[in-house]
Amino acid sequence: MAEKTKMLCPDCGVEMNYHAEKIDYNGSPDEETDGFDADFGGVVEEAHSCSLCGKTLLRKAAQAGV
Amino acid sequence: MTTDERKLFLPVILGTARQGRMSEHVARFVYEEVAKRDGVETELIDIRTLKLSIEDAGEAIKDSHFSETVERADGLVIVTPEYNHGYPGLLKHVLDTNLKEYIHKAAGICGVSAGGFGGTRVIENLLPVLRELGLVTIFWDGNFSGVHKIFDAEGKLLDQSYVKRIDKFLNELIWMSKVLRHGRENVPLV
Repeated sequence: MAEKTKMLCPDCGVEMNYHAEKIDYNGSPDEETDGFDADFGGVVEEAHSCSLCGKTLLRKAAQAGV
Repeated sequence: MTTDERKLFLPVILGTARQGRMSEHVARFVYEEVAKRDGVETELIDIRTLKLSIEDAGEAIKDSHFSETVERADGLVIVTPEYNHGYPGLLKHVLDTNLKEYIHKAAGICGVSAGGFGGTRVIENLLPVLRELGLVTIFWDGNFSGVHKIFDAEGKLLDQSYVKRIDKFLNELIWMSKVLRHGRENVPLV
């Protein structure tokens, strides 16, 4: 399986660690919400944290690419 | 700087804006106990000072300083009074303004009550909220029963047993905060 694109910390430039997923229940398929996953009833978001500065960023899983 | 060189950051949230709040004495006491710990930084966040809009809710009304503080935090201490068995609405309003800032971070609750149950009911009510926010709650609580007898009017601690109790609470919070920091930054989800 191909790996998802790694996120880089915008401050430190190092690869961030992808450690959590969370569902954002805002939006709906009727509104064609970007990244909406009907199986989960919302947008799956990935949490990535930097091992140097601790910064955490979210990214829609659908935008993670392969 | 490596993970181990960075101090843990454990802010204390004073979760009520009510006039005459005895929870302020508790929050200041806990804040001072956290500040004594080696390798730990802290800050007292008084929700009264945040001045959040009530025209909207959630991430739309973020307070930038509060969000930056929670973003930097490794764990949180939430000091909450028990009002009619529940948590202050303003505390929930404040907590709801962030999300990503909380994920996989530790949280410990200090419940405050005038009666004899030490805020146990508000703690139980708050736990599922913190879980949904992405926080990881510890199994030690601070229970401040009969708070008017624990502190005098100036906030001086009258019952020294709370020093030992909060010591145990902080041991657990610090352990969990270290573990979760390592996990956030080094352990991949899959």
